[in-house]
Amino acid sequence: MNIDEINEELAVMQLSDSFFPTGLFATSNGLEFLFSKNQIKGAEDLRNLIKINIEQQIGPSDCVALGNTLENAGNKNFEKIIQTDEISFAMKSIKEIRNASVNSGIQLVKCVSEFVKENEIFDQYQKAIKEKKVHGIFPVAFAVCCSALNIRKEKSMTMLLYGFTVSVVGAALRLGLIQHLEGQKIIHDVKPIIIETIAKNFDKSIFDMWQFAPQLDIVQMSHEKMDSKMFIT
Amino acid sequence: MNHIPRIGIGGPVGSGKSMLIERLVPMLAKIGYSISIISNDVISKEDADRMRTNLATKRGLLPENMVIGLATGGCPHTAVREDPSMNLSIIEEMEENHPELDLIIIESGGDNITTTFSPILADYFMYIIDVAGGDKYPRKGGLGIESCDLLVINKIDLAELVGANLESMKKDAEKIRKEKPFEFINCKTDQGVKDIVEHIIHDVLFDLPPKSIRSEKVQI
Repeated sequence: MNIDEINEELAVMQLSDSFFPTGLFATSNGLEFLFSKNQIKGAEDLRNLIKINIEQQIGPSDCVALGNTLENAGNKNFEKIIQTDEISFAMKSIKEIRNASVNSGIQLVKCVSEFVKENEIFDQYQKAIKEKKVHGIFPVAFAVCCSALNIRKEKSMTMLLYGFTVSVVGAALRLGLIQHLEGQKIIHDVKPIIIETIAKNFDKSIFDMWQFAPQLDIVQMSHEKMDSKMFIT
Repeated sequence: MNHIPRIGIGGPVGSGKSMLIERLVPMLAKIGYSISIISNDVISKEDADRMRTNLATKRGLLPENMVIGLATGGCPHTAVREDPSMNLSIIEEMEENHPELDLIIIESGGDNITTTFSPILADYFMYIIDVAGGDKYPRKGGLGIESCDLLVINKIDLAELVGANLESMKKDAEKIRKEKPFEFINCKTDQGVKDIVEHIIHDVLFDLPPKSIRSEKVQI
C-alpha cells in the first residue's frame, strides 16, 4: 500500500467532485443559448459541442496553462505563474466566461486555503490575488491548488477536462436536453477525447497556447445578452 | 476586510421575498442605512430588474449598481447553501469597494421548504411563507421554517379568501419555533413590516445607527 498515492487519489476525488464549491454548477458555457434557440437537439449534438469545447477551447488554452503552472509551481518560479495567469486571462475574450473563470478560481483558492497550510507557492498566489497582482483565473488557480495537494500533471489535466464535461452535462440535464442515462453515456464517450487532448497539449509552452472556436464564441457572447436565463454563462 | 452584515431571505416561489425587500429597503433607507441587494433568481433577472427600477431608478433609495441579479443554474438552494461561492464572490467585491454599506440583503431563488443559508453567506436567515400556500405551513415544518432566525408569514389579507386559519398557524408556529420569533405581515399594506425592520436593526445591526451618521441615535 502506497500512502502517498492514496493521498493523491483522495485529493483528486475531492477537487473533481461536483460537490466541491467552485460555482461550476451555475455555468453552461453557452449551452443554454443554443438550447433556447432550438439549435441543439439531443445527446449526439451535446457530445459534439463538448468535443469542440475541449479540442478547440479548453484543451489548447486552459490545459496548457494548467500544465505550465504545475511545472512552474514545482520549480518555484512564481514570475512564470504570474505570466501564465495574465496570458490565460487575456485569452478569454468572452466577458461572461472570463468573469466566471476568475470568480471560480478565486473561490477555489479560498476554499483550499482552509486545509492547505504553509505551501510557499500557494501562499504566494493567494497573497497575489489579494494584492491584485494576479487575476486568479481558474486553470492557473486550479494548478496551484493541485500542486499544493501533490497531484500530478496528467491527473490535474484530466480533472480539469472531466470537471468541464460534467458541468456541461449537468447543465444539459437541468435544461431537459438529455436524460440522466444519456448523460453518463456522454461522459463515457468523451473519455477518449479527454485522453487525446491531454496527450496533444501535455508538453506545450504557454507561448503555444491557442483557441479557435468562433461559432462557440458567438454563442457564448449571445448568452450574455439573454434576458431570461438560468445559468451564469 | 470589513464585514458587512448580511441577511439571507429564502422561501417558496411567490411567497413575497422580493416584495418584502421592496418594503424593507425604503424603511431602512429612511433611517439612513445604506443597503445592497443580491437577488438569486432561478430563471431570469426579473426580480433584480424590478427592484432596481422600483428602489433605485424611480426612488433613488440606493444606487442602481447596488442591486445585483445572479443566475443559479437551476439550483437555488445550491447557490446559497452547498456552494455559495458565486454569492461570496460578489459580497467580497462589495466589502472591498463599498465599505460604506450597512447591510447586504441576499434573496434566494424560489425554492422548497428545506432551504437554508450557509452560515458563511448569511449572518441572519429569514424564511418567508404565505397563507395562500395553505395553513398546514408552518405545522409541516421543514428546515427553512424551523431553523431560520425569523419566520415571516405573508399575505395575511388573503387568509379568509383561501380558508387559512391564522390562529392555527400562530399556534403551530409557536410550537415548532419554540422560542424563536415569527411575524405575520401583509406586504401590500406594510402591515407588520415595521416589526421586521425592528428585528433587523436589533438582531442584525445590533442597534447601531447607519455608518453615515454613527453619532446619532436610531429612530424608527
